[in-house]
Amino acid sequence: MNGGPIPEVTPVNQPFWDGTAVGELRIRTCHSCGTRFRFVSDWCPTCWSADLGWEAASGRGKVAAMTVVHMAPYESVAARVPYVLALIELEEGPIMMSNVVDCDPARVAIGMPVQVTFEARGDLQLPQFRPA
Amino acid sequence: MSSGVAIAASYEVPPARFPDVSPHNLYRQVAIAALRDWGLRPSDVNGLLAVPSGQGVGTIDIYTHERLGAELGLVPGVAETLNAGGASFAIMVGRAASAIRDGLADCILCIGTGKFTKPTSGGAEVMARMISEPDFEIGYGPFIPALYALVASRFMAERGATPADLARVAVSARQWALRNPRAVMHAKGPITVEDVLSSRMIASPFHYLDCSVPCDGGGAVLVTTDEKARRLTEQPAYVLGYGEAHSHGSLSSAGDRLIHTVATRTGDDAFRRAGLSRDDIEMAMLYDAFSATPLILLENLGFCKPGESGAFVQSGAIDPGGSLPVNTNGGLLSFGHTGEASGMSLIVEAARQVMGQAGANQLERAATAFVHCYGGMMYEHASLILGRSR
Repeated sequence: MNGGPIPEVTPVNQPFWDGTAVGELRIRTCHSCGTRFRFVSDWCPTCWSADLGWEAASGRGKVAAMTVVHMAPYESVAARVPYVLALIELEEGPIMMSNVVDCDPARVAIGMPVQVTFEARGDLQLPQFRPA
Repeated sequence: MSSGVAIAASYEVPPARFPDVSPHNLYRQVAIAALRDWGLRPSDVNGLLAVPSGQGVGTIDIYTHERLGAELGLVPGVAETLNAGGASFAIMVGRAASAIRDGLADCILCIGTGKFTKPTSGGAEVMARMISEPDFEIGYGPFIPALYALVASRFMAERGATPADLARVAVSARQWALRNPRAVMHAKGPITVEDVLSSRMIASPFHYLDCSVPCDGGGAVLVTTDEKARRLTEQPAYVLGYGEAHSHGSLSSAGDRLIHTVATRTGDDAFRRAGLSRDDIEMAMLYDAFSATPLILLENLGFCKPGESGAFVQSGAIDPGGSLPVNTNGGLLSFGHTGEASGMSLIVEAARQVMGQAGANQLERAATAFVHCYGGMMYEHASLILGRSR
């Protein structure tokens, strides 16, 4: 792909990026109440427990919301236009933002099954999705 | 049913471009012009609520109330620079009402000014990091129109609204702006659904004309007790109902609330407190950063059944002469979006209509007005009902 903004790495999200580096899309699981949630916090949003684990998601999901961006908002994404910005609902439940790549943007629709893929972005591997 | 609190006066700078005026100086100019216009003296004002200025130009001042209060010679019993994005202004009126009922103050200046300057490319990426998750969203190229487009796409898929329905909202806003000399698009002539759909695509489903018009501006309202309001004006805008709720901080964390927003709760709360129903409302101001949001709000707030907002706007219901006039000043779509002050224009317009001060644009029937402001990409919400009778 053609570059783009570099995400922040923090002590809280480091294990997520360690996962993508080895081809895993990791989500968090609460050992206390069983909630599965998106990688953003070190406590459970349902019960506030700190007894959490990391789990490798299947990487399968579907498009929950999507737009085709035609006007580049800033320089670092200019070469990517037109690109698909989407919310992806993972098979395990959590919803995450992504692009849908490796296909004609006009083909992408809400409900479309997608599969995770990874794109080098700076020193990171950024999760992306392509049609399944 | 009155809350005992009313808007007694309003003031607004018509949206424009003020390239040589700093954000704080814009605040100073609007504040002193408003207070002089209202015939007040420094000892009359004992409360000050403002929003942070300079967000659009990267010089955010979160201490506006301190500087402005001192410059105006105020020693207020309640003062705060509060921020809930576009929801801030309905929230200000709610906070002012609470403060007045608690006896902290009885004459509160609520003010907002904004500069919505087109950022440089570097500035736009900094802004994108501010309005998205800097770790799990920024990598995908988010920016405000695209984030709203995600919300719109889901709404259209679930509720059946079409691009033409969205466009029809922008057409209606322009019809209102043609009647309002203060609207930034007043002299630009009417637009059609076809004009909107053939304007350039920004981020599907939003074309250029589905987006609000960035400009600079601001306004103020004076919130006081019913009694004081009646001494200041023949017809106050009584605060009849209020509701507020905050649900998420990013689209990735919205879940079902992406389109099933907590506006439903704030609307229900406001109606319950006012003792009124949807049928009692004669006009509505629904925050319209993009053409899709009034449709979502019409359904979330219960003015339309799920899936019926498209047909509602296509019928002309929200236009001049319609059954529920919406965004009667032209809305952010055609009156103008004044950055961090945008929500103030909704409050000012509703107050003016209810007080009979809307001038060329005055509605025949405006005994009750419903105002809904939200912040973020519909993350946090506040509803306000104003009326002529207590």
